[in-house]
Amino acid sequence: MKNLARRVVFSLATFIALAIVSFVGVDALPGDGCTALLGRFGTNAKIEACRQENNLNDSVVVRLKDWSGDLVSGDLGYSIKRDEQVSKIIMPRLRNTAVMAAVAALIAFPSAIVVGLLLGRYPRKRISKAVNQFSVIAMTLPEFVIATVLWLVLSIWIPIFPGVSVMPSNATVLQLLPNVWLPALTLAVVIFAHSMRTMRASVTNVQNMPFVESARLRGTNERKMIKRHIVPAALPPVVNVVALDGAWLLTGTFVTEAAFNFQGLGRLAIDAISDRDTALILPIILFGLAVYLVSSILADSLVRVFDPRLRSSNR
Amino acid sequence: MRTLLRFNFLKSRALIFGVLGFHAFVALLAPYLRLSSTDSQDSAALLQGPSLNHWLGTDSLGRDAFSRLLHGGRPSLVIAFAATAISCLIGIVIGSLAALAGGWIDDALSRVIDFMLALPTLILLLLISSFFGQDPFILSVALGLMYASPIARVARSATQTLLARDFIRVARLQGGSRISILFGEVLPNVWRVMFTEVAMQFTWILLAFSSLSFLGLGASPPTPEWGLMIAESRSYMTLNPLLVISPIMMLASLVLAIQALVDHE
Amino acid sequence: MITTLTQSHILGFSNVTVRIKNEARDSRPILEAIDLQLERGETLGIVGGSGSGKSTLLRLAAGVLAPGLVLDQGEVTTVGKNLLVATPTERGNIYGSVVALVAQSIGESLTPHLTVLSHFRDTVSDDVVDERVLESLAEVGLGGEKYLHRYPHQLSGGERQRVLLALALVRSPQLLLLDEPTSALDVSIGSEVLTTIDRLQRSRGFALVCVSHDLGVVSQISKRIAVMNLGRIVELGQTSQVLRSPSHEYTKSLVSSIPKLDQRIRESSSQNNETVLVCRGLGIVRGQTTRAIDSLDLEIKQGEVVGVIGESGSGKSSLLSAICGLVSVTDGSLHDGEGYDLSTAVQMRPREVLSSIQMVFQNPDDSLNPMRTVAQSLSRYTHATNSEISSALLSVGLGEQFLMRRPREMSGGEKQRAAIARALLAEPRLLLLDEVTSALDVTVQAAVMKTLADLQRKLNIAMIIVSHDIALIASFVDRILVLRHGQLVEQGSVDEVINSPQDSYTQNLINISARRAAI
Repeated sequence: MKNLARRVVFSLATFIALAIVSFVGVDALPGDGCTALLGRFGTNAKIEACRQENNLNDSVVVRLKDWSGDLVSGDLGYSIKRDEQVSKIIMPRLRNTAVMAAVAALIAFPSAIVVGLLLGRYPRKRISKAVNQFSVIAMTLPEFVIATVLWLVLSIWIPIFPGVSVMPSNATVLQLLPNVWLPALTLAVVIFAHSMRTMRASVTNVQNMPFVESARLRGTNERKMIKRHIVPAALPPVVNVVALDGAWLLTGTFVTEAAFNFQGLGRLAIDAISDRDTALILPIILFGLAVYLVSSILADSLVRVFDPRLRSSNR
Repeated sequence: MRTLLRFNFLKSRALIFGVLGFHAFVALLAPYLRLSSTDSQDSAALLQGPSLNHWLGTDSLGRDAFSRLLHGGRPSLVIAFAATAISCLIGIVIGSLAALAGGWIDDALSRVIDFMLALPTLILLLLISSFFGQDPFILSVALGLMYASPIARVARSATQTLLARDFIRVARLQGGSRISILFGEVLPNVWRVMFTEVAMQFTWILLAFSSLSFLGLGASPPTPEWGLMIAESRSYMTLNPLLVISPIMMLASLVLAIQALVDHE
Repeated sequence: MITTLTQSHILGFSNVTVRIKNEARDSRPILEAIDLQLERGETLGIVGGSGSGKSTLLRLAAGVLAPGLVLDQGEVTTVGKNLLVATPTERGNIYGSVVALVAQSIGESLTPHLTVLSHFRDTVSDDVVDERVLESLAEVGLGGEKYLHRYPHQLSGGERQRVLLALALVRSPQLLLLDEPTSALDVSIGSEVLTTIDRLQRSRGFALVCVSHDLGVVSQISKRIAVMNLGRIVELGQTSQVLRSPSHEYTKSLVSSIPKLDQRIRESSSQNNETVLVCRGLGIVRGQTTRAIDSLDLEIKQGEVVGVIGESGSGKSSLLSAICGLVSVTDGSLHDGEGYDLSTAVQMRPREVLSSIQMVFQNPDDSLNPMRTVAQSLSRYTHATNSEISSALLSVGLGEQFLMRRPREMSGGEKQRAAIARALLAEPRLLLLDEVTSALDVTVQAAVMKTLADLQRKLNIAMIIVSHDIALIASFVDRILVLRHGQLVEQGSVDEVINSPQDSYTQNLINISARRAAI
């Protein structure tokens, strides 16, 4: 428990430090909200007026203070370029990405754990070898290749799913669903391969441990063997990978969203970067950081459930 | 057919080295082969199918797809080599130094490594590329810096394991200086453990750069690059699917061969 | 030879040969022409060095053959069945209830995330009553309910081995197979575990096969002994007879290699009054608070050999590490013969001081850089010439051909000899030996100790040798120190300590050792 508290405090400190670094870093990039709004045709006078209006001429320290104060009170800031509150822009996009991530996670994680267990248990079956080879390929190929292949096969050759999302960014979940399948499937292939292989490697590793043979030689039956001896020992590394992959599903899907023109957070990030809309980029970076830190804390606490050696105080 | 099905293509040494050799040959010699120019546009022949003049047809600007395909691996390979070298150099030095020094230096360096690992890599790369221009040199350095932290983490734990071994203790007892122990005993052994990690790193960096290109922020047009070529031709997939399929095959065969080589070791 | 198996046989090997899969026919098999029968209730010990095939034999008796090995010919019958061809379900029905095996690595043989009680539930049934478990634990010497809800990492090595024994015996099997039951335990604890096994075997009458590298261990709990070497059973007979009048050459060397309390392998050399090491009130703290060594006084003269004995956690290794500067001294003083303060860390010591104290470590696989040849390893920090290296290698019994070998091409004994040669090249005045032979086979151990004795006589250097084996120490040193929990509980000349030990712990170690030698 003490460990967990320390972990949380440390993560919070990391978040604050990286938030400051990000603010200063993004601030140092050439251009700001006003140049983004007025573009290269903006006259100096207009840009200067815009800066005055939005307090962009204050020193970095002052703006950092204002910004962090706003952040603590829940205000993510204001995009001059888009003339809108950042939270209003981000929220619908985040919802879209979350729906896609949830579909991908539901398809991939449960099946990955079951398939990984089976493959680890019966490595010699021909089907195991085939699935394994498929997963190596899926894990090695970049998302844009998987996305393109899925599109080619499931949208052009066999037209089941729409290839490009045609939806407003604030579509309802029902309108969203048909457009979700291809990007979600792409992500599912990636995380399935990743977590399945971790599970398989972990099961193989655990099966070679002396305690498994020892239990078998005491006459423990197969069902108990898997349920009580192998799976609990094999899960910790998988929990870590699932947590990291889960964080990635929420924050790292730029390429897939771009490939299908899916109106999610990743697509928004790319747009914001090409617009140089720094006010919008910064919260997206911070969101990514927060999700990563929270998920690794979650994974650590979950692993403790499986391993009494990490729980006990007299280590 | 049965034997073909049973053939484990990821385990065949000959195939792995054959594919890697092919890629090395193509990447090194593409400029010297008598190919059509990669950027001469033929507005009379847009999006044509395969022909004797254009083996894989032409793209949407009427450029020869085959020539572009053979040149398309060079930018990513150059950047991946440079960035991997940078990340290894920084990662191994920092990781082994942290383990070797111990104490507060180790704590501080480990914190830095943790910080770096928490950074969202791709979005930072997009930012850098967008704001500083798609410069191969800047991108190599950025990729190298960002991918140094996983290397540093593995190097640190490998060094720590190694330092606990008796032959290191004996070297200290026989008067070996820290530097001579680092270069004579630690690094050669760390490097041996790290080979797999480094090869994987190379693939990741290669794919990261291709992904950047796919998003339009890696290689800048008209440079032929597989990721960029796939992005450019996706809209014309129904007209000439080879434009998309061929760079996919090239990229896939390259990264799979590296992956298979790593698994093989 | 055709063996007939009668009903009373519980285990039978007839002409069994095991090979490595896909290896040439003329290569040496792992097991060769094994013929062996075990009656109900009979006890058999199998003894042999590493690579003798003894563990393969034991596991084969349980129907387990490591992947990569094949049964080339012959038949193994365990309680009337051929377990190698049995289905997993059939085996599951036999394991635990008819045959039980306790494997070697006791540290990892219990499932780390399950309590002791859960282990019993899985082995017997989910509705096993606590009383039955308590009874079973009490039988192996673990009384009290506190053990029920402990996890494996909360048990000591001896307790884990007892839990494993209880689990193996809870369903009253007819055949118990033990693989190195004491090799991971301290001498005194191992001896108690053996006593427990012996008592249980007598009261419950199961047949027992026990495999060990230690003749003393198997002779304590088995009526018959099989001696194995290079995949063959070279001698098989009543324990007392095999020990008293061994007939096969290998058995003879095995028996004579065991260190004896009353047999010296090294004569005391001339000692002058030159001191090489003085420590006064030495204290070493490891970690946050653990006292590894507490106010120790010690003085060593040139040419003197001191033995330090103690179990794990007694601080014996910390003492050696502190002397050579790898661990820092917390209080007290530590000086060499010239008065140089040895409480300085190794990297602060001047070169002469460094080379005057050298150490050889326990694990032969760890003591040479795997990427270097012996010549490179030996010259890198000593800057010795090739001819110096050759003569140093020769003095530890290694020929010229080893100069260009790498560690992976050498046996454990050879690696340890090279490590000794490397230490000697620094021309030390004090040589520290930390359990240098404990990873080696008994016969190899005897040869290495002989080499060390010769070297000591020739070079007249002072040595501190640390070991858990009191007989080994007694046969080699001039003076014995007994350490327990960081305290010096006894010290004196070999004769004083062995013949009239003052401390009960020393007494116990001597008794165990004497009992083993006597059987």
